[in-house]
Amino acid sequence: MDLLWLIPAFPLLGFVILFATQGRLGELPASLIGAGSMGLSALAAAFVGYEFVSSGETVFTQTLWSWMQVGGFNPSFTLYLDGLSLVMMGVITGVGFLIHVYATGYMKGEDGFSRFFSYMNLFVFAMLMLVLGDNLLVLYLGWEGVGLCSYLLIGFYHHDPANGYAARKAFVVTRVGDTAMALGMFLLFKELGTMDIQAALSGAQATWPEGSPVVTAIALLLLGGAVGKSAQLPLQTWLPDAMAGPTPVSALIHAATMVTAGVYLIARTHDLFLLSSTAQLMVASIGLATLFISAFTALTQTDLKRILAYSTMSQIGYMFFALGVGAWSAAIFHLMTHAFFKALLFLAAGSVILALHHEQDIFKMGGLWRRLRIPFVSMLIGSAALAALPLTSGYYSKDLILLKSWSFNPLFWAGASVAALLTALYSVRMISIVFFGEMRTEPHEHKAWNLSLPLIVLSVLALAGGWFGLAPLAAVLPDGGIDHDPYAAWLVWGTASIPIIGVVLGFFIFYPPAKSHERNLSAGVKSLQGFLFSGWGFDTLYRTLIERPFNAIAHWNRNDIVDSLFTLIVTIATWTSNLIARSQTGQLRWYAANMVIGTVIVLMIAVVVS
Amino acid sequence: MSTAEYLALAPLLTISGGLTIMLLVIAFFRSHRVAHVSALVTLAATVLSILTCTPDSPQVVLDLLVVDGFAGYFMLLFAAMGIITCTLAYRYLEGRSGGLEEFYILVVTATIGAMTMAMAQHYATLLLGLEILSISLYTMIAYPQETHAPLEAATKYLILSGVASTTMLFGIALIFMASGDLYFSSLMADASGPYHTLGQLMLLTGLAFKLSLVPFHMWTPDVYQGAPAPVTGYIATVSKGALFALLLRFALVSDVLSVSAVFVALSTIAIASMIIGNVLALMQQNLKRLLAYSSIAHMGYMMIALLAISALTDTATAVESAMVYLLGYFLMTATAFGVISIQSNAKENGDAELISHYSGLFWRNPLLASVLTVTMLSLAGMPLTVGFIAKFYLFAAGVESNLWALLWALVIGSAISVYYYIKVIFTMTLNEQPDSYAHPETTWSTRSTLYALGLAVLVLGFYPTPVIELIGQLLSGFSD
Repeated sequence: MDLLWLIPAFPLLGFVILFATQGRLGELPASLIGAGSMGLSALAAAFVGYEFVSSGETVFTQTLWSWMQVGGFNPSFTLYLDGLSLVMMGVITGVGFLIHVYATGYMKGEDGFSRFFSYMNLFVFAMLMLVLGDNLLVLYLGWEGVGLCSYLLIGFYHHDPANGYAARKAFVVTRVGDTAMALGMFLLFKELGTMDIQAALSGAQATWPEGSPVVTAIALLLLGGAVGKSAQLPLQTWLPDAMAGPTPVSALIHAATMVTAGVYLIARTHDLFLLSSTAQLMVASIGLATLFISAFTALTQTDLKRILAYSTMSQIGYMFFALGVGAWSAAIFHLMTHAFFKALLFLAAGSVILALHHEQDIFKMGGLWRRLRIPFVSMLIGSAALAALPLTSGYYSKDLILLKSWSFNPLFWAGASVAALLTALYSVRMISIVFFGEMRTEPHEHKAWNLSLPLIVLSVLALAGGWFGLAPLAAVLPDGGIDHDPYAAWLVWGTASIPIIGVVLGFFIFYPPAKSHERNLSAGVKSLQGFLFSGWGFDTLYRTLIERPFNAIAHWNRNDIVDSLFTLIVTIATWTSNLIARSQTGQLRWYAANMVIGTVIVLMIAVVVS
Repeated sequence: MSTAEYLALAPLLTISGGLTIMLLVIAFFRSHRVAHVSALVTLAATVLSILTCTPDSPQVVLDLLVVDGFAGYFMLLFAAMGIITCTLAYRYLEGRSGGLEEFYILVVTATIGAMTMAMAQHYATLLLGLEILSISLYTMIAYPQETHAPLEAATKYLILSGVASTTMLFGIALIFMASGDLYFSSLMADASGPYHTLGQLMLLTGLAFKLSLVPFHMWTPDVYQGAPAPVTGYIATVSKGALFALLLRFALVSDVLSVSAVFVALSTIAIASMIIGNVLALMQQNLKRLLAYSSIAHMGYMMIALLAISALTDTATAVESAMVYLLGYFLMTATAFGVISIQSNAKENGDAELISHYSGLFWRNPLLASVLTVTMLSLAGMPLTVGFIAKFYLFAAGVESNLWALLWALVIGSAISVYYYIKVIFTMTLNEQPDSYAHPETTWSTRSTLYALGLAVLVLGFYPTPVIELIGQLLSGFSD
């Protein structure tokens, strides 16, 4: 287990090499370094994970170094491994490695090939810091690091200003959440005096009674950060636009890992949320609202990647929902299975998009199933898992969430079940329109092992990834891992049948795909569709409520009242500096005289004091 | 003298022996390279002897000197700085006229003086060390003969130093009158008598001049500007470091800070240095003068560690913070003047001293510009550089001893300082390129020394533990 430090070290090294060479490496060496460092990291992670599980320990810490020791202040840099960080680490390095391999094929011939991999490696390093850090400071560093990489990679195709806008939007919107999170951390530090996560959690349990306003405030502020990073209501608007980045980026950052950081944060600080039922209800409600809204929106989208983006929001909504209803382990379980099948869906979509020369409109696709066999089968498996059809990985995790929500509140169960139905519907719609019916664009399949191998491996994971459960979580999360409480038979069967009903229903509505192409809708339905299409009008809402007033205020205050205060300080400093500088005459007699005056002043002070 | 005493004195004997050999070599065989190399060998041998011969517990030699881990640490810094100065000076001097060989002898004698001060526990040794150091420095400053600026600087320094030394001697005489002996520890008996207080204050005035504390600071920018860049770096580090080491030991042994008049006077001087030093640097266009003013401020910061001794029951924290700060200050200052020296190699006479000379350095020489950038950030005290660690230690020592007025001055001074340090970095990113400074000639040894220093500034900001542990170890045998 002493190799733990190597896991983040490899991607960091990869980043340093790729960054230092500034794109002078060819594509092959850059691929070898970019994906190879991830491979080594994944190997190390597998080794450490095996050792950790077989050792039977629940926690392993590795202090890399202490920064300084001044009096009692001794900040150290420590990695912390437990069941939760183990799962996250496995997902990040494993899925991350596959996506890196895929990217070596996908990005072939693009400008900035090695820049792309340097950012990707940096991202993985930051993400690993986020989940392995033992104190909030390191976690926050990783948190901001992944945000930065996300910004850089969304705007990767920087010749198009729209991509730059999308990158800025993602950065600014998540910043709102980050600010809340930073405030939460400050409050936690002020109240408990420690940045160490475990110490803070046990301190919180010892200090505050259940439902104390302080702990509620901290939990809600941390939730703010989680909501921003994980694209949940009301900070969800950045994720669909983030699809401007290359598809492997969408798969890695905006599906499998970074956007689930919020789920990790809440699971990591679960003791705080357990102390505040208000905060927990809030988590569940936000999750439910998001999964509902985004599932409806996904039904109306026409851009393949945006469908997947809304679907991601909705699935993360499930995770929040699970955290809120107390199905902690199920949330992390779903995080893992979602990473498998959503990465698979994105990569398969990437292959489709690549074959169609970067065409993303599903209505210009169709009939591709004969020509793009591997992407088709992958997408089929991915969608089955997304819709949670029985025996796929998504079924195990989502089913568990739904069942657990029944004992929390049957109304929540009902809401989540309807959304599960919607998930099946939009999955069928996507498959039907993209792969069946009339072929509208001629595909040119790129046949390369590095494009197909990750799809095959991820397909296996998306199918079988849920069969084994997640034993190490039991020691970390309060619900004691993934167990199957006895539920009424009708509930179990009913819950399991929802996706099947959804798929059958979807088949009748969306097959053959021609039905979706030629539809005469009434004006009312059209405007409803437009409303759903725009993501329930959140962008417009924020533009009117926040952007416009903000711009107006900024325009009104264009001479900046606050700034004049600083200008004043500058003026005073400059004036004083010029005044004192006059004493530096360069004349020896004045210097000597000044020394005598100085001595006299010192002696005068002595006389006055004594 | 016993064997133990000889052994403890080994560094001083090594460097003096080396000096004698150097004198003979230069007398018979005039070669710049040979003089340079023999100085390096002498100083390297000194470093080795310090590392091997520093005794675990304090060893008093002939009543006048005391050799302990504390002295060893500072001697190591001085000798190392001597090596760096010789390395930087080689290429710098070669482009200039006049006999070059004696320069290295002066560096070695100055280092002897500084080492003596680090070991002094008696006013006679204090004066001896100080004068060996100062007289070597006057000549080193005046070494280049192309322009009259170095000569002017040396003259100013000589005369003002004379004033300071006289004041100091008068103070020592008063102390002798009151106590009857010349050991630092003799003050203990009756520290607050009127003659004592007067003597202490006059002594401290003299020391404050050498440390260029306000209001005895006026010589600093003129001398820094006039002296050749490698020598300025030496003055800024070794001369001040030796004075500070001496002051630290003096304060620890003599308990002088328990006299409230001394404490108040030194606090006032420290606060004034921090504020006025930084304010003066604000509008400065000359990098050497800027660094002079900044050194005034840094000396003010370091006084916090000194003053913390008085208020702390556990003086180790204060001494430790002073030692950490001095190391950081040495690294940063040596690097900054190293960059100036290298850039000055491209000039026929004088130095590349205007900030505008560095405009566009990032595009001409990115590595050198990065080194200077790291140094400037470190001087400003940015986290993840050694400057931050050093300042943090000072702050911790100050907080523990409740020196709030001084800490406020530290905060305000640091805030002001960020502006002028950043200004240097900003200038380096500009696009203008004065042709004459485009490609200074350098040797690989100069370059690698400089890169190593810049790296140390950075690495010790991440990972200062080894140094901190070393200091703790050295201080474990140090009695106060």
